[in-house]
Amino acid sequence: MIILEDVHYTYDGIYTALQGISLQVDDGERLAVIGANGAGKTTMIKHMNGLLRPQEGRVILDGQDTKFMSVAEIAREVGLVFQNPDHQLFLDSVKKEVEFGLRNIGFTENEAEQRRQKTLASLGLEGLAERSPFTLSGGERKRVALASVLSTEPRFLALDEPTIGQDAHQKNRLAQMLAEMNKRGRTVVVVTHDIEFVIENFPRTVAMAEGQIIADGSTNMVLSNDEVIERCSLAPPQMTLAARAIRNVFPEVGQRLTLLSELEETIMGILGGA
Amino acid sequence: MSFLEVFQYTRQDSIMHRLDPRSKLVLSIVCAAVSMMFMEIIPLLMVFICLLPMIAAAKSLGRWAKSMKGLASLLVFVLVFNTLLSPVENPLSYSLSLAIRLVALMTSFSLFFLTVQPDQLSQALIQMRVKFEFAFAMSMAMRYVPTLGQEAYAIMDAQRARGVELDKGNLIKRIRNVIPIIVPLIIVSIRRALSIAESMESRGFGASENRTYMEMLRFGKWDWALALSSLMVLILVIYVRFFVGLPGWMLWNLPF
Repeated sequence: MIILEDVHYTYDGIYTALQGISLQVDDGERLAVIGANGAGKTTMIKHMNGLLRPQEGRVILDGQDTKFMSVAEIAREVGLVFQNPDHQLFLDSVKKEVEFGLRNIGFTENEAEQRRQKTLASLGLEGLAERSPFTLSGGERKRVALASVLSTEPRFLALDEPTIGQDAHQKNRLAQMLAEMNKRGRTVVVVTHDIEFVIENFPRTVAMAEGQIIADGSTNMVLSNDEVIERCSLAPPQMTLAARAIRNVFPEVGQRLTLLSELEETIMGILGGA
Repeated sequence: MSFLEVFQYTRQDSIMHRLDPRSKLVLSIVCAAVSMMFMEIIPLLMVFICLLPMIAAAKSLGRWAKSMKGLASLLVFVLVFNTLLSPVENPLSYSLSLAIRLVALMTSFSLFFLTVQPDQLSQALIQMRVKFEFAFAMSMAMRYVPTLGQEAYAIMDAQRARGVELDKGNLIKRIRNVIPIIVPLIIVSIRRALSIAESMESRGFGASENRTYMEMLRFGKWDWALALSSLMVLILVIYVRFFVGLPGWMLWNLPF
């Protein structure tokens, strides 16, 4: 369990990024963090693994204040994948790159190889194991960076914009892999602008604006809140727009609709009742 | 590394800031050349004392003093090592003059870099008939130094998140830990350079041979005065140093 208690953070004493963030992430949760550019999302997840330390407030990992833990210690529990894959790739093959993290954490050669193969296969990278990461496309490099952290299966996984540059097929693969890891009890936190990805994969959503949490609850509830949509500068989900259009004709359609199945059910209900 | 601040442009309005970069370049080079010509304490101190009012004219004494404080440990290093290791007759006297010379040299060049905006510098180069492409490359390089610094921090974060312990272990381990930082930094820089080049070309960089400039530097009468008087000082010093010889009291040394 990760708890952020009234966390404040100001860059260089000038630019305020977080002003009083309180958040509890339970074990086994799937949580999405949304918000406009500059809302403080990345700053917040950097607090989760100790790269940034709160200037006010506390970050508590499994009941222990992270103030007394080094980043390397926290990294065993909390994995973080950054936006830009080029910031972490430095070895001359995809294979070595993925094994690097595993060996850092202390897996044996055998285990490391197994995990590496499994992760590469799940992310559709199995054919690229011997290639140099620098010859890959942007989307492929992004997946190698993801693989290098996902393969270690930390108990908490924080991903910053993991779907950027990925086609629908790859996004589904990633979603599937995250779902499997979640089923094995891992906690997944994702920062993203990709609303469809959130709706389909994350039951809980936290919305941020100007360094504060403006909404925290079920994805359904948060994303059908107009104020959230406005302040996070999101385009309303297609499903919400569709539901509103239908509500103009059939007032019995609910306010909070984000899933295709819900809409189907409602329409079937109306048609069946007619 | 705070002593490098003395080479960083500060936006200010002062007599020094308003002068043309080319006249300040002459001034800086003359000051540096003069301090290179002497190895005795008294003449070097005189150069140093002449430099101070110029820094004051640039309204940068505070910044200069701060940088010199940062330089202090390096100066102590220069003093101790040279005193212990140099084979000359009066090692302390010799290393003291080396230290003063270092300060004088840094101050000479800081006069230029403190008061010349990077854009002005490239404009000055262009008007000194350096090819536009070279001048542009130079100002780009200066422009990207802070960006590179930020990038380095981002990379360090990314690697620490993967469990790389940057500040632990013995010397060899620490040196090996630099690899995960340096390799991405180089690759990111090359990638950025390529994409900047592409985006510049797609915006028509180098499309016409003769460029025109919105702002041209003007070499005013004060610039002439400064440049000419600097050159006269240089000639005078060369004459005294090499053809007349310094008066005895200037050659004074510490006894050890």
